[in-house]
Amino acid sequence: MPIRQKIFFFTIAVILLMVILELVRRRRLRVEYSWLWLASGSTIVLLIMRYDLLVWLTDLVGAVIPTSTLFFFCILYLALLSLNYSVRLSALTRQVKELTQEVALLRADHEEGA
Amino acid sequence: MIGSGRVLVVMPCWNEARNLGEVVRELRAERGGDDVLVVDDGSTDGTAAVARQLGCRVVELPLHLGYGAAVQAGVKYGLRRRYDAVVTFDGDGQHDPADIAPLLQAVADGADLALGSRFLADGSYRGGLTRRVGRALFSALSRALTGLALTDPTSGLKALGARGQSLFALARFPDRFPDADALVLARRSRLAVAERPAHMRPSLNRASMHGGTRAVAYTFNMLLSLLVAALGREADLRG
Repeated sequence: MPIRQKIFFFTIAVILLMVILELVRRRRLRVEYSWLWLASGSTIVLLIMRYDLLVWLTDLVGAVIPTSTLFFFCILYLALLSLNYSVRLSALTRQVKELTQEVALLRADHEEGA
Repeated sequence: MIGSGRVLVVMPCWNEARNLGEVVRELRAERGGDDVLVVDDGSTDGTAAVARQLGCRVVELPLHLGYGAAVQAGVKYGLRRRYDAVVTFDGDGQHDPADIAPLLQAVADGADLALGSRFLADGSYRGGLTRRVGRALFSALSRALTGLALTDPTSGLKALGARGQSLFALARFPDRFPDADALVLARRSRLAVAERPAHMRPSLNRASMHGGTRAVAYTFNMLLSLLVAALGREADLRG
């Protein structure tokens, strides 16, 4: 891996990690989500330091060039991430519905003096 | 007619302030002894205030949740006050209050869920072509998935006995498209389902539910919802 590329990607990875840490510090990102993003950032750093790992993985899955291995796993990662968001959104939707109904029902109780 | 038993008529309403008075008056004229509950589904036209003026019970949802969730809120209200039967009745004037009595009779005769069917009524109701095609499709699917040969599984006019109410109050009840898929769930939960004639009229509110381009999205989502309901586990409604 050319040194130029290394510096470029390393800078991006470091900025990403800093943003994540800052978001956690300001409580903008819940701690339980932060590990995921920290792991993502760390993986980028790891792949920059140990390009041979990517080559090894490429061999393992039978891909031809490391770039496609990288893209494949990136896309897979993003797909799983959005799946996870869909699950969380479904849960949140249900919770909002239940809460909204409960608020309305309690207000009705209150108004009727029940 | 069933003499005993308290009945709650649940009317889910979204911006029906203009027509509500007429619908409620007609309902009261036919069913004087029943409690009328207006579930205001986050209206912006003062539907809740009109309902209070009319002397209805009101559950006012602070957010617009959609038809199914509004009905569910009404059923939960009924369950907590231990009504013997809960009737769901559209707030846009397309249901005929005279059709409620036969549905309640069906519940008294042992049905957990009684549906008003516009196709069993004489003087046939015909919607647009897309609606008829959609309805035929749901009907066939409902039959395939539930084994219930219902003529009008998308009916919004229903009477619920105790177990029917419990089903509608379930957290995982399909609240976005609670028509045909509710029946799948009902059948899988071994509820007794009955059908009685209902006379549908054109909605007073022109922009009401199934109109225009939304029909396509509705159809797709409902098919999906049906399949999901068919995949789901049976609900345990004992106790």
